[in-house]
Amino acid sequence: MSEKVNINFSVNGDQETREAVVGQTLLKFIRDELHLTGTKEGCEIGECGACIVLLNGKPVNSCMVLAVELDGQELVTIEGLAKNGELDRIQQAFIDHAAFQCGYCTPGMIISARALLDRKPSPTDEDINEALSGNLCRCGAYQEIREAIKASSKK
Amino acid sequence: MLSYEYVKCTDLNQVFQLMDKGEQVYPLAGGTDLMVGMRGGKYAAKMLIDIKGLEELKVLKEDEKGITIGAAVTLNEITLFAPVQKNIPILADGCHSVGSYSIRNRATLAGNICNASPAADTAAPLCCLDASVNIVSSSGTRAVPIGEFFTGPGKTALQKGELVQSIFIPKPYPQAKGVYSKASRTGSVDLATVGVAVQSWGNQVRIAVGAVAPTPVRAVSVEKAVNEKGEKDWANAAKLVHNDISPITDLRGSREYRFHMVEVLVRRGLEQTMEV
Repeated sequence: MSEKVNINFSVNGDQETREAVVGQTLLKFIRDELHLTGTKEGCEIGECGACIVLLNGKPVNSCMVLAVELDGQELVTIEGLAKNGELDRIQQAFIDHAAFQCGYCTPGMIISARALLDRKPSPTDEDINEALSGNLCRCGAYQEIREAIKASSKK
Repeated sequence: MLSYEYVKCTDLNQVFQLMDKGEQVYPLAGGTDLMVGMRGGKYAAKMLIDIKGLEELKVLKEDEKGITIGAAVTLNEITLFAPVQKNIPILADGCHSVGSYSIRNRATLAGNICNASPAADTAAPLCCLDASVNIVSSSGTRAVPIGEFFTGPGKTALQKGELVQSIFIPKPYPQAKGVYSKASRTGSVDLATVGVAVQSWGNQVRIAVGAVAPTPVRAVSVEKAVNEKGEKDWANAAKLVHNDISPITDLRGSREYRFHMVEVLVRRGLEQTMEV
């Protein structure tokens, strides 16, 4: 008896109208309905950050948002960062600095890092620690991630 | 998938109608506690009413009486609000200690206190600032002092049909230093094993402690020694906190560890805020 609701939103710059099932998380909606599987499911309790996306420009844990709450909002996922086949500067920096091993945390990390650079183009180590406080990397690539963000900063 | 109704509310009257008539109706603002609680079986919601779009609840302002923080204002918005940073930085510290940056983009102050965890990071600072909770319902409004708002773990003074509209921090502000410090297993995301707020008010001090009793509590024994008896030996004063608490052993720490850490953090807080 799961109720469905029509929602209007923008995803990675495109306006969309879809049906969302009440009770479905934004994370499941992104992966199973929008078929954007770059956003990862990790802990599902807001602790790991693998599912972080930009909602109205701000990083949020999509496992803790309902799909129906997307109505009227602006969503950007990891797939929305590259423009015309060109990787975003921060994506290229992650590759250049080998800022991952398994890569599972990487979409969430890059989204958090992109949002940080948007609000603070020259972040300090402390700013980086705060911005990534909700992103866990179990391979332990934190140092390389920090270097990638620093390399993408405005000097 | 959990099944319930979802209503995006457009005004407070609609909120009251839905809350008055329904059972298991939960207000949804940031949802960061609610989502986890529903999945874990803590809440069996039949209806979620989304209140975060209501203008009345988005208020974040300072006027001649003090600072008002609406129920839909996020913790990151509070941390960045200049009058909070300038006048009551201890509350900014408390808000900043909750969860992680991405959680704080959704989580609200009202949600943190309504969840009523004994370990809520914002509760101890609010207890040091004489904050009050503005509650609304179809039958009117009432203000509850923060010290009377928490009635037990996960329990508050809210009655059926009532909604927290805002939290109010009155003037005069402390005009002195305050610190919120927290012992936890990890640097972010984890709940406090012990949380301690120490706020100087000139030659007086207010201290509130979290995660060491069924609700956040004031360390009245320590306050009395410092404020009334003129105790200046902070180590001696800090020991008295043991009279004010009743910690339990859980996965975050033992009762004994909490007794120890709360004393340490109270002593450090006194050292950092009270001049000698």
